[in-house]
Amino acid sequence: MISVYKMTVQETRLCGLFLREHFGEVVEKVGTHLLRSGAQNLRTIVQETNLSVDLVKKCLCVLVQHGACLFIAGRKGPGSPTEYRACCDRILRVLRYPRYIYTAKTLYGDTGELIIEELLQRGHMTMSSTVKTVADRLTQNMEEGHSLDYSDVSSTFSKLVETHFLQRCPPVGGAGTSGSAAPAEAPATPAAPAAAISKALPTPESFPDCYTVPQVTLVGRGKRQLVPEDGEDQRNAKRAKMNSETHGDEGIYWQVNVERFHQHFRDQAIISAVANKLDQTSSEIVRTILRMSEVTTSPTATCTKPLSANEIFRSLPASYNIPRQILDQYLTLLVDDPMEFVGKSGESGGGMFVVNLHRALANLARATLESIVQERFGSRSARIFRLLLRKRHLEQKQVEDFAMIPAKEAKDMLYSLLSHNLVQLQEIPKTPDFAPSRTFYLYTVNQLPTARMLLQNCYKTVANLIERRLFETKENKRLLEKSQRIEAILASLQASGAEPEQLSEVEEMISAPEKQQLDVLRLHVNKLDSAENQVDETIFILESYISSTSTS
Amino acid sequence: MADRGRGRRTLSFIVDSVGISRGDSLPPAVQQPTPVFPVTEQKPLPLTGGEEAEYLTALKQDFRGAMRSLPCFIQPAAVHRDVERYSDKYHLSEQMDGLTDWIIDWKRFPKELRVRIRKPSRDGAALTCLGGGQSGQMKKKKAGEKEEVLLKLETLEKKEEQESSEEEGEGKNKQKEEEAEAEEEYDEEEFEEETDYIMSYFDNGEDFEGDSDDNMDEAIY
Repeated sequence: MISVYKMTVQETRLCGLFLREHFGEVVEKVGTHLLRSGAQNLRTIVQETNLSVDLVKKCLCVLVQHGACLFIAGRKGPGSPTEYRACCDRILRVLRYPRYIYTAKTLYGDTGELIIEELLQRGHMTMSSTVKTVADRLTQNMEEGHSLDYSDVSSTFSKLVETHFLQRCPPVGGAGTSGSAAPAEAPATPAAPAAAISKALPTPESFPDCYTVPQVTLVGRGKRQLVPEDGEDQRNAKRAKMNSETHGDEGIYWQVNVERFHQHFRDQAIISAVANKLDQTSSEIVRTILRMSEVTTSPTATCTKPLSANEIFRSLPASYNIPRQILDQYLTLLVDDPMEFVGKSGESGGGMFVVNLHRALANLARATLESIVQERFGSRSARIFRLLLRKRHLEQKQVEDFAMIPAKEAKDMLYSLLSHNLVQLQEIPKTPDFAPSRTFYLYTVNQLPTARMLLQNCYKTVANLIERRLFETKENKRLLEKSQRIEAILASLQASGAEPEQLSEVEEMISAPEKQQLDVLRLHVNKLDSAENQVDETIFILESYISSTSTS
Repeated sequence: MADRGRGRRTLSFIVDSVGISRGDSLPPAVQQPTPVFPVTEQKPLPLTGGEEAEYLTALKQDFRGAMRSLPCFIQPAAVHRDVERYSDKYHLSEQMDGLTDWIIDWKRFPKELRVRIRKPSRDGAALTCLGGGQSGQMKKKKAGEKEEVLLKLETLEKKEEQESSEEEGEGKNKQKEEEAEAEEEYDEEEFEEETDYIMSYFDNGEDFEGDSDDNMDEAIY
C-alpha cells in the first residue's frame, strides 16, 4: 500500500476533510497534526496543538477506536511514553464506505448492509452488541408486532466472517485481552510477545483466530424503540440500554476487513472488463475461476493458483450449460487475447489456467490513463499517448508518422501533453558533451509515475468537491436550519395527530422562492456527492495498480 | 551550464530535432500563475446516473448524518459570543448525552488516554475532574447558586486528590481552560436537570430575526 510514512499534501488535506466531516473539527486538528508530524507522544501533541489534555485524549480515543491511529509503546526502550501514529491509508478509505455498505447489501441483504454500516460507524464492536443493534434497527423498520430474531442476524454475521469480510481486531499485546472467553473457544494468542510490539505492528491476519466466530449465547429478538416524549425520557431510555448482560464474547472485537472488499472490487472490475471486451460467457468463465480462487489466493498474489480446465468445467454455474469443447475454445480465446487477463500455465488436466491479476490491474490502469487523456485533450492526443505507451521512446518525427497526424498539430499536442507532465522528454546523447545538435530527444510515457501523479490529482479533486459542498451548505446554512426546524415541527405535529390545516400552515412557513433555493441546493449537494463516488472508482483502480507494483 | 547565452535568446535544446523550425513563433512566455478556473476545450462527461449511483449517494449522506449524532463526533467548545445571553444557560447540550453513551473498553487503549467524565449524579457523588491542580482561581460566572457552590467545593477536593496522579505539569492557561470547560459542561447539566421547562421547546426567538417579513402578519406559532 502507499507508504504510511510519507504523506503528500493532497492526501493530508483530504484526510483532514474526512476527519472533519465524520468526527468534527477538533479531531481533524489532532489528526492532521499527527499526519504531518509522524509518530508523537501525548505530551508533544498537547503542546503543539494547543488544545486541552482531555480534549486531545478524547480525540485520540476516537481515532484509535476507528483504526485511524495506532499506538505503540515507546521506541526508546521501556519507560518511554506511548507514541501515536495516524494511518493515512485507513482514513482515505472513508471515501469508499458507501461502496462497502452497498456490496454487503448485494451479497448478504439488508442484514449484511446494516452490520457493515454499524461497524464502519463505530470502528470496532463485539459480535453481540452488533447483532443486538442491527436487530433493533431492522425491527424498527418492520411492521408493528414483527421483530427480527437475533439468530438471523448472528448467522449473517457468521457468514461475513467466514468469507473474511469481517475480521477480529488484533488483540492489544501487553494488556492481555483474551476477555472472558467462553470455554468452548480457544483464547486468542498474540503472535508476538508484548515487548516486541514496538518493532512491527502485527496484521490482523497474523493471529490464528482472526476469522473464528466465538461461541455467543445470544437469545432474543430486536426491540422497537418507543418515540421519546421529551428529552428526559430519551436519556433514560439510553441509560437503560447500557445493561450489563454478558454473552460470552467480551473483549473480542470485530472490524471490517477492507482488503477483502478491495479484492472483491478488483475481481468485479476484471469480470466487467472481460464482459465489455469479449462477451458474457467469457466473463462468466473468468468469474468462475476467480470465485474458486477466492480463499486460496493471497491479496498480493500476482496471479491465481492454477486451475485445470476440468475443474473449471465442473464449477461453472448450472445456468451456463456449455459443452466441454466450447469451454476449451473460450479459454483459448481468453489466453490469446492481448489483454492477457488469463494465462496458461501448464497442460495437465486439460490445461492449467490462471488469471493474471497484476497484469489485469496494469491494463485496467492503462485504460484509465488513456481515457483521462482522451477526455481532457481529445482523441488525437490520446492516440499519441497510446502510441508512446506502447512504443516507449519515439522521436518527434516518428510520432508524427505513426500517429498519422500533421507535423504542426502533432507538435502542439505533444507540447501540451508535456506541459501537463503526461509525457516526458528523454535525452540520449551521441557524444559525451550533450551538445544539442548531437543528441536524440525522445518522447516517452512511464505508466507508473503517470499513474501516481493522476492519483494525486484524484485526491485533489475529491478534496475540492468536498470543499465546494461545505461552501454550498454554509452559504445556505440559515435556510437549511429553518427547513430542518420546520420538518421537525411537522413530524411532531403529525405524530400527535394534527389537522391538515395546521400542517399546511406550517408548510407555508417556507416561501416558494426559498423552496426553490433548497431544491437547487439539494441538487448541487447530490451532484457533488455522486461525483465523489465516481472519482473513487478511478482512485481504486490506480491505487490497486500502484500497490500491485510495489509487491511484485 | 556556465554560459547560458549571457542574455541572448538561445534555447537549451536544439531547435530542429525537437521539431520547431526557424521562424515558427513559440507560444508566449507565461507571465503569471495559471488561472484558478482555466477554460477547458473539452467539456467533461456527465456523471453516470442510475439507481446504483443514487443509492450510493444516499448511503453516503445518511452515513454522514449518522456520524454527526454519534458520540465520537466531538463538537468544539461553544464559541462565546460578544455578549452573554440568557439563552446560553439553556442550550441543549446534546453531545453530553452522547459521551455517556459510548462505552469504551479501556483494555484496548493505552492507560494514559483514560478519561473519566461522569455526570454529577443526584446523590452528590464526586465529580472526577480532569486536569491540573490550580486551586482557588476559578472564574465565578454565575454566582449565588447553591448547587454551584457545592460543585466548586467538590471539584476543589477532587483537584487536590488528583494532583498527585497528574502526569505532566501544564501551563496555567491550559488548566483554566480545562476548568472552564469542565465547569461549563457540569453547569449546563445541572441547569438542565433543575428547570421546570422542557429544554427542547426553548427558543429565544433570536434565530428568526434574519427572516424576511413578507406575509408574516401574525406570530409564527
